[in-house]
Amino acid sequence: MTTLTRLRALPGWAATIAITAVVAAPILVLGASVLDPSVEVWVRLWETRLPRMIRETVLLLGLVLGGALLLGTGLAWLVAAHRFPGRRVLGWLLVTPLAVPGYVAGFVWLDTLSGPLGIRAVRSLWVGAFALVLTLYPYVYLFARAAFRDVGTNALDAARTLGHGPVSTFLRVALPMARPALAAGGALVAMEVLTDIGTVRLFNIGTLADGVLRVWFGTGDRQAAAELATALLVAAVVLIASERLLRRGASFTTGGTTRPLVPQPMAPRQAGIALAVVLTVLVVAVGVPLLRLLDWVGEVGTEVATVAGGLGHHVRSTVVVAGAASVTSLVAGSVLALSVRRRGSAGRLLGRVSSLGYAMPGPVVAVGVVITLAALDRVLPLPPGSVLVGSTLGLVFALVVRYLAVGYQGVDAGLDRVPPETVDSARVLGSGPTRTALTVELPQARYAVLAAAALLAIDTIKELPITLLLRPFGVDTLAVWVWQATSESLWAQAALPSLAMVAVGMAAVGGLLVALERGAEVRS
Amino acid sequence: MRTPVPRRVLRAVAPIALLAVVLAACGAEEEAVPEPDDAEDASVEEDAADTEDADANADADAESDTGDDAAAAPENTVTVYTGRHYGIEPVFESFTEATGIEVRFTTGSDPELRERLLAEGENTPADVVMTADAANIALSSEAGLLAALDSEVLSDTIPEELRAEDGTWYALSRRIRVIQYSEERLDTPPTTYAELGDPEYDGRLCLRPSTHPYTQSLVAALIRNEGAEEAERIVASWVANDPIYINSDTDMLRAIEAGDCDVALANSYYLGRLKAEDPDFPVAISWTEQDSVGAHTNISAAAVTAAAPNPEAGQQLLEWLASDGLKEFSDVNFEYPAATDVEPAEVLVGFGAFEPDHASVRELGALNAESVDLLAEVGYE
Repeated sequence: MTTLTRLRALPGWAATIAITAVVAAPILVLGASVLDPSVEVWVRLWETRLPRMIRETVLLLGLVLGGALLLGTGLAWLVAAHRFPGRRVLGWLLVTPLAVPGYVAGFVWLDTLSGPLGIRAVRSLWVGAFALVLTLYPYVYLFARAAFRDVGTNALDAARTLGHGPVSTFLRVALPMARPALAAGGALVAMEVLTDIGTVRLFNIGTLADGVLRVWFGTGDRQAAAELATALLVAAVVLIASERLLRRGASFTTGGTTRPLVPQPMAPRQAGIALAVVLTVLVVAVGVPLLRLLDWVGEVGTEVATVAGGLGHHVRSTVVVAGAASVTSLVAGSVLALSVRRRGSAGRLLGRVSSLGYAMPGPVVAVGVVITLAALDRVLPLPPGSVLVGSTLGLVFALVVRYLAVGYQGVDAGLDRVPPETVDSARVLGSGPTRTALTVELPQARYAVLAAAALLAIDTIKELPITLLLRPFGVDTLAVWVWQATSESLWAQAALPSLAMVAVGMAAVGGLLVALERGAEVRS
Repeated sequence: MRTPVPRRVLRAVAPIALLAVVLAACGAEEEAVPEPDDAEDASVEEDAADTEDADANADADAESDTGDDAAAAPENTVTVYTGRHYGIEPVFESFTEATGIEVRFTTGSDPELRERLLAEGENTPADVVMTADAANIALSSEAGLLAALDSEVLSDTIPEELRAEDGTWYALSRRIRVIQYSEERLDTPPTTYAELGDPEYDGRLCLRPSTHPYTQSLVAALIRNEGAEEAERIVASWVANDPIYINSDTDMLRAIEAGDCDVALANSYYLGRLKAEDPDFPVAISWTEQDSVGAHTNISAAAVTAAAPNPEAGQQLLEWLASDGLKEFSDVNFEYPAATDVEPAEVLVGFGAFEPDHASVRELGALNAESVDLLAEVGYE
């Protein structure tokens, strides 16, 4: 490398390091506690709650991951490879449970099943896992469906010619080829489960994330809580590593020209069964929650005594906060993804460090951010009376810390699909890195960028713990309203904001679907 | 595919960004114009005669303030962090009506708000902190986050046992955590916390998880009153009865109604709310520990923060809440007023008289860590 190119690389490094440092600081502030572990606390935890935390975390993770993979992959194969009435529309509708937050599905099913199952049985890990599977399977479904489409007709035809039946073709050809996509979808599901607070609390599931809050807010021992949080981080790292492992050696292409998968017609009876399966899933995951919420709204009307500002104010706050956090995460994530690609393995490492927040439960991120910003407030020469903690800026920053990974990984995945030759030719023709990024890389990855934006919006719209702890005065999101009602078990009063949240979420899901559809068209 | 059009992407993103900015502007604008001050009448002077600032505040024009974000609160605004959120808003509105001082507040769980206060330190925008529990306010006091007040109104109205010795916090209302049971299935309900461990109640108990401050404070009081060893034995005997853990007092009472359990430990005001909706709700209160220390008493408490930007208004809010506003503050949630001479809500009068355990209240904070430890030790969920 010449000195000149080295100098040219400086701004890229600066951007990478700056973004990583800013975003990882609040997590590292907490993580620093691990350097001086409090052995006593760990011994105590091990003697009391820790074994159960580990057991329940592993069990819940296994159940939800297994359920989501099974449901997501099965539905994806059904929709991608078969023709049945309503397939196209239903195929898209199967993504809509993403707009239903786990804690909303949770309280709806908690109440609905309390009658038939009894109150003791309904507050269990099993029903909690059920609610989580219903709201999280679309992550697997989306990835799996795209992967099956990419497997193409050729490979499947070949398998059939070689005498494989439909089941065998699926198990021996389609499934192995879709493995990396399933791993990616599964990783998203796993992260959501590991960091979930709202749903596990509803069902008394004592996961590690719940334990971090227990230790922190029960004993006020910030040190011990931070150490427990790093245990969670270790679990996340193990998961991500195994996802990489599953992806490894998976860069197979089908060779030659690939024709996208053509769905096969089904016998009427089978088509009927397929239709029934899809409809059942939709009714359970979306239909029942919507109907119950509507029913509750009818019961209490729009008069909710405990909330100020009304629906308009809350919708506006939600859109502003989620919008600002999504756009910022997307821009920072894009810059990071673009610059990391040119920085080799050290860059990749920084990219991963910047994603730490995604492996942390919201409240942990929130308190890390509070500590960091409060320290800044003390040293920065801010105009008197203005502080970062409790400002819109502080809130958006915390959300970016938590969700940057979604933007970064999403854009990164899109850039993976841009042929390196295209980028190289642009550079050879004298286009600088920034210009190449803006005119070649990002435009070509535009649908991945749009999809990342939609996923960010879906996540930030339903975010609760960070918003609750850091929102400025007069900024009350729909999620906060839901919390205020559900923390008093006033399900009916939580119905209106829940419905509004699902509606806003549906808009984001719509954006996601458009992005994916167009993206698929461009590729084929 | 050939023609990369960044403009198209821009076109897609720009409206969203624009929308966000516009909406943000709308939001800020709306907050910047507080409600017209319709409280500038004589009653303001009367109520707030002891604080000179208040007069000036009531006269000052609120419309020039820019009250958005975490920026300094306008002069005549008091900023509150409150762990109690149910029905608090109308009470604040009454305060504004009476004094002309606007209230802006944010909610959160007690310990989360304490962490925020701790992190903000000198820079906190909060003038007043309110909790739904005695331990959390005492722990905040211990951490040096609260200001000691010297107020005759407060020390005259709030009984000594229900306020901090050093004047850093004051109870406003009392929450009594007692045994509540099914009138239909139990003739002679238990009357002590220890009795809940009786094998008779195996599988018939509903308890709130140990994550909740109410449970922690109840066990802290047991430690104080019975000694650590006996408290551990008692709580372990509850756990042995395989309780259903439900993180909502209302739900526990509904579980009794539905027949899922027969006895629960819950705050009395939750029954007050349910009885207000349906006078025939089939659950009754068994006033607990009446022959010994009295029923476990927790409090809704308030304090002025040590770094309050507007401590005068903060103190004024506390004084108003402890006097003119006390009945509304307590009644809105069916709690017992901290001032024992103020009549509680009607539905509470119907529950009958009882002996409360006031003596423990000040010590709940100091015993909190031990309580959390004990709960973990015996495997209470």
